Amino acid sequence: MPEIRRLSEELARDPSSLVFMQLGEALRRAGQLDLALKVARRGLERHAHNADAHDLLARICVDRGELQQAFDEWDMVLRLAPSHVGARKGMGYVLFKQGKLTEAEEHLSTAATHDRDDASIATALRMVRRLLRYAHVAANGNGSPGQAELLAAQRRVEEEARLLFADILGEGEHTALLLNADGLVAAGLYITADGEDVSQEVGAALTGVRDEALRAVRHLDLGAWKAVVYETDLATVALAPAMDESMVLVAAGRSVPLGFVRRVLDRCVQRATEWLEEVT
Amino acid sequence: MRTHVAEPWIEAPLQTFVDDAHALFALLLHPSGQVMGQFGFTRAVDVMAACALAAAIHASAGELGRELDGKPFRELYHAGRDRQIFIGDVSTTRNRFVFLTVFDAESSLGLVRIYFEELCALLERAQPPLHVEAPISAVSLEQDLNRNLAILFGRAPHGTDGESSISLA
Amino acid sequence: MSASPFESTLAMLIRQRGVLGCLVVGEADGIVVDANVQVGIQSNVIAALAAALYRKARLCSAAAGLSTVGFLQLEAERGHVCAIGRDGLVLVTLAEPRAHIGRIRGAMIESLGVLT
Repeated sequence: MPEIRRLSEELARDPSSLVFMQLGEALRRAGQLDLALKVARRGLERHAHNADAHDLLARICVDRGELQQAFDEWDMVLRLAPSHVGARKGMGYVLFKQGKLTEAEEHLSTAATHDRDDASIATALRMVRRLLRYAHVAANGNGSPGQAELLAAQRRVEEEARLLFADILGEGEHTALLLNADGLVAAGLYITADGEDVSQEVGAALTGVRDEALRAVRHLDLGAWKAVVYETDLATVALAPAMDESMVLVAAGRSVPLGFVRRVLDRCVQRATEWLEEVT
Repeated sequence: MRTHVAEPWIEAPLQTFVDDAHALFALLLHPSGQVMGQFGFTRAVDVMAACALAAAIHASAGELGRELDGKPFRELYHAGRDRQIFIGDVSTTRNRFVFLTVFDAESSLGLVRIYFEELCALLERAQPPLHVEAPISAVSLEQDLNRNLAILFGRAPHGTDGESSISLA
Repeated sequence: MSASPFESTLAMLIRQRGVLGCLVVGEADGIVVDANVQVGIQSNVIAALAAALYRKARLCSAAAGLSTVGFLQLEAERGHVCAIGRDGLVLVTLAEPRAHIGRIRGAMIESLGVLT
């Protein structure tokens, strides 16, 4: 980790430097959470009124599973910088994890108002609103939903997401995923021939192709990208954009004709769009 | 991570290059070695060293080009095991700079060259109107060098004419 | 000076309907090895971007356990980029939306042997 070493040396040379934020973030990303926490806390001793430093500490706390500490830090961020979108987003996430969906929705709505271009906020907001709607349905309109209704809503969303493309795919030798802007699986399944679920791994790996496609169409002035289709020794992979910067991925065995893969892709994009648009 | 610049008009073109080319380091300097903008460096001393080396390499390559080809070489490229370095000549209608960037396998020489051309065009469009400058003396040059380093590392605001707290000595 | 080993392949590809340019590009550096493009087409820009896309698809597919990438097609509102690679070289075609991608694909797969 030469970057961490370089930043660490820089901080040692000048302990009052703001480089502690870069170092803390680098350590967090590298999974060295204890060290990241130490660096962020030491930095905050010298820069107690720096909102981004409190934001860093909150994100480290989330990674450590310390949700309430993270919430308190983001609360501090909002006192220092009331329009801090990252803090609103983070608080929405913590509240969502704590099952406080109404409050989560409020924070995410505010974040979305401040940053309409952040697809991850829009995606999170849709998820919270979908859960809220299903929880209310589970409660049969009898007041605000309780823990049981929230769990029922959670199960319903998971089931819906898992089976979103099932009827389009049928029993064929192909599979489909809906990936959000960060490459995380929002719906669908990718099961290997051995029966292993590798949805997250495949989704994360193939998101990079979308980024290169976006760059290519931008610089070649080709307009919006509609699909990337490529053939490997094992499969045909087809990707297409969906709403909120999400992407649909279809993978099919080599025996499946290219035209059919493309048709399945179009139908999956349509299905994903309809599903996402159910909640606005 | 953001770029740091000695003059505000440089920031957007340099940041665009860094974002598009996925560069690890970027440095824009006067052929004299005076830094104008940087990305990726955390220490003033590293920027100073890189500026001095880039200016010297650029000058040497220019002379070599004149000897061999009758005109200076405009671009220079070295490939290391993991990292690659590209040095190019930025000539706008009112300024001349040297540009150095370091990149890895996340980018490529072809991409860097495209975005370098774009950087040149963006700097051309962004540059402020020409004003007559006083002749550069050894003292004023050192003051300029120190001032720019101080601005880049947040020790002096943009537009400060006084000496910085960083010494070149 | 002898002709490039890619000349006849590129000449055959450029004759396909809707093809604006075809190139042989280094996958790692994105630099043009040989090209046959229509006037106004910036071969160095296509080369760098298509090589980066192909390389990313190859690396991502390997990471996802999907093995070696063959033919790749990027479809956009105003055109297609097709690519196929071997031994560190990528054969790239830029085509208009009206182009017959099936024929271009067939021609590019047939031409793979020249990429050595």
